[in-house]
Amino acid sequence: MNIARAQCAASSITPETRGDDFRRKGQIEQAIEAYLDGVAAPPSAALCLKLARCYEQMANYAEACRWALSIVDAGDDFTSWQAGWALFQRNAQKARRPAARSVKVALLGSYTTTQLGPMLCLAAGRLGIHIDLYESRYGQYQQDILDHKSGLYAFSPNIVVLAVHEGDLHLPEYSQRPEEEIRKEVSRWTGLWRMVTERSRARIVQHNFALPCEVPTGHLTTRLSGSRYMMTQAVNMRLGEAAANAVSLVDCERLSALIGKQRWCDPRYWNMSKQAVALEALPLLGRHTAAVIAADLGLSRKCLVLDLDNTLWGGVIAEDGLGGIKLGQGPDGEAFVAFQEYLLKLKRKGVILTVCSKNNHADAIQPFEKHPEMRLKLQDIALFVANWESKPDNIRAIAKTLQIGLEALVFVDDNPVEREIVRKFLPEVDVIPLPEDPSYYLRTLSDYLLLETSSLTAEDTERTDQYRARAQIMELEAAAGSIEDFYRSLRMQAIVVPFDASQLPRIAQLIGKTNQFNLTTRRHGMAQLEAFVRDDSYVHLALRLRDRYTDHGLVSVMIARKQGHVLDIDTWLMSCRVIGRTVETTMLEQVCRRAAQLGCTSLRGTYIPTQKNAMAADAYAKHGFERVGDNEGTEIWTYDLTTKGLIANTFVTPVDSWELADDAC
Amino acid sequence: MELHDRLEEVFRQVFDNEALTLTNEMTAPDIEGWDSVAHINLMFGIEQAFGVRFKGNELAEMKNIGELKQFLIGKGAG
Repeated sequence: MNIARAQCAASSITPETRGDDFRRKGQIEQAIEAYLDGVAAPPSAALCLKLARCYEQMANYAEACRWALSIVDAGDDFTSWQAGWALFQRNAQKARRPAARSVKVALLGSYTTTQLGPMLCLAAGRLGIHIDLYESRYGQYQQDILDHKSGLYAFSPNIVVLAVHEGDLHLPEYSQRPEEEIRKEVSRWTGLWRMVTERSRARIVQHNFALPCEVPTGHLTTRLSGSRYMMTQAVNMRLGEAAANAVSLVDCERLSALIGKQRWCDPRYWNMSKQAVALEALPLLGRHTAAVIAADLGLSRKCLVLDLDNTLWGGVIAEDGLGGIKLGQGPDGEAFVAFQEYLLKLKRKGVILTVCSKNNHADAIQPFEKHPEMRLKLQDIALFVANWESKPDNIRAIAKTLQIGLEALVFVDDNPVEREIVRKFLPEVDVIPLPEDPSYYLRTLSDYLLLETSSLTAEDTERTDQYRARAQIMELEAAAGSIEDFYRSLRMQAIVVPFDASQLPRIAQLIGKTNQFNLTTRRHGMAQLEAFVRDDSYVHLALRLRDRYTDHGLVSVMIARKQGHVLDIDTWLMSCRVIGRTVETTMLEQVCRRAAQLGCTSLRGTYIPTQKNAMAADAYAKHGFERVGDNEGTEIWTYDLTTKGLIANTFVTPVDSWELADDAC
Repeated sequence: MELHDRLEEVFRQVFDNEALTLTNEMTAPDIEGWDSVAHINLMFGIEQAFGVRFKGNELAEMKNIGELKQFLIGKGAG
């Protein structure tokens, strides 16, 4: 085997072409083995098809089905999906394979849906749903619904999918009375919904309307509430409001933007066969529609099982320590923070977060308790498992403790080996294949469709948040009368503390990078900073800022040295993302306090002008410092604490830890 | 792969028939399942596989396999 592989490598034959050769010779078992050698994660659609065909030839219909369905995970290629569906149908019959759920779906279209049907069925099959499909004749969705003797009602569907498109909206190109048109069109749809609900037990899944990419009135359109374009947006919004909990919506407007509107609809295929959604976009639409149906059937996943090292932060906590892990600084560090923030959003909509890590418990909880950039806190984690047992064993224990099925779990781990082990030993658990680059963790998770929710509570939470945000913005606009009112309305809090080891990389980064609000532009390195921390004559302050909307993280740094009764400011800088918020005053307020504690009677400041830091030129003057001298372009400023008193800032509240008011998050 | 083989591969996927072999004289009635829906799927499959774009009219006009090949060669897919 090894020799054979070495020969393959030498002659650059891939496992796939090797498999092709075996197949041509009729050696199917050897072909399967070769193909399986070539399976990457996720496997290519072509390979999935070949494997499915091989297993079909071997009369192993269950495996043939499995590989036909895995095409769904291998990209959105229409032709492969089409072939996969044909293979699946044929083999599923022979395999007599029980699906987790069987459901009767009526697909009612305003355009040709012949090709959408198979896409929907294949995507649903991947989610364990068998669809028994009814299709209305071309464009007959209204007739089917209105005629109580129609094939639709004879079919008695569980789900009615309204696959409709923008061109079908009864809206004029321009209206003097848009409100009236919108109301009429919305009530046409809600009327159809009511009729379906009265005449059947079906739940409705409605596609909303993808805005077209051709807009005759151009950018002016957005100022014309009477334009068809703007009325369509209003119809989408009103349909969402009217749907509430009774009707599910598939956001085709978002999907069309996701794939690109010029790809979503291809005029050639529309003109030839009335395909309002291009074949290219149908797998995407099929996947999302299937996911919404799965959520309606209660088949969504409920709980994420998260790895720690290189999943929630970069590096290995047990080896790199609190200051060494990547979190909050550098591109990767920022990516992990963004990923954590997204996880928090999922938690807020009701997804349960758990941790499963190969670590000592004491090491594993350290970042949660002590790292200032951690967004996830221990109380966000429903169950925290860190030990040296195998992951499948731990995951089983998690399901048991939380009293949920394995089929409610999703495993999130950067390590492909762990993912493969979980796939193999716990096939019920779904596994998210995280990409290598943490920058794309968030997007990979957001592309994962089985966390769709359709329950009332989840919708309520979201709606409440949206209304709250809207109210806050309105409040802010109303308060925008004076700048002071604006500052107050932000409800800023600051945590100002001496440097500690975990913050040093971020501090070094700020010192290395900050050019604008930087009084002396002295680029101290890590070694220098560590020396300051050890030296008692130095005062060093790191400031974190939070307002009612966001945690801005560590944004300002000051280093000062006690020289007799004078506290001399060596370094003072602030990130430009918080300029114009009075943060600089808070830093001076805090350094005044430290100075007083140390028995200093005055502050001394230095401003070294550069080509970039003009913004900070008046920082001292503004706060009552007096300019006492110049030295080769360097300005020296002083502030007498005994006569002028301590500097104070009423707009930012200094706190020891974040104080969360009801509306602060 | 030769143009002929690549084209045959697309036909095999679209018509779910691995035994399908193409000849230049073949037209739609010669291939089982080549109806108007399959035609659309086929044209799309060819576009994707060869990285070409048919004009709106060309989509409907394909008469036989030989003609289709000439078209693809004309589009620079040869």
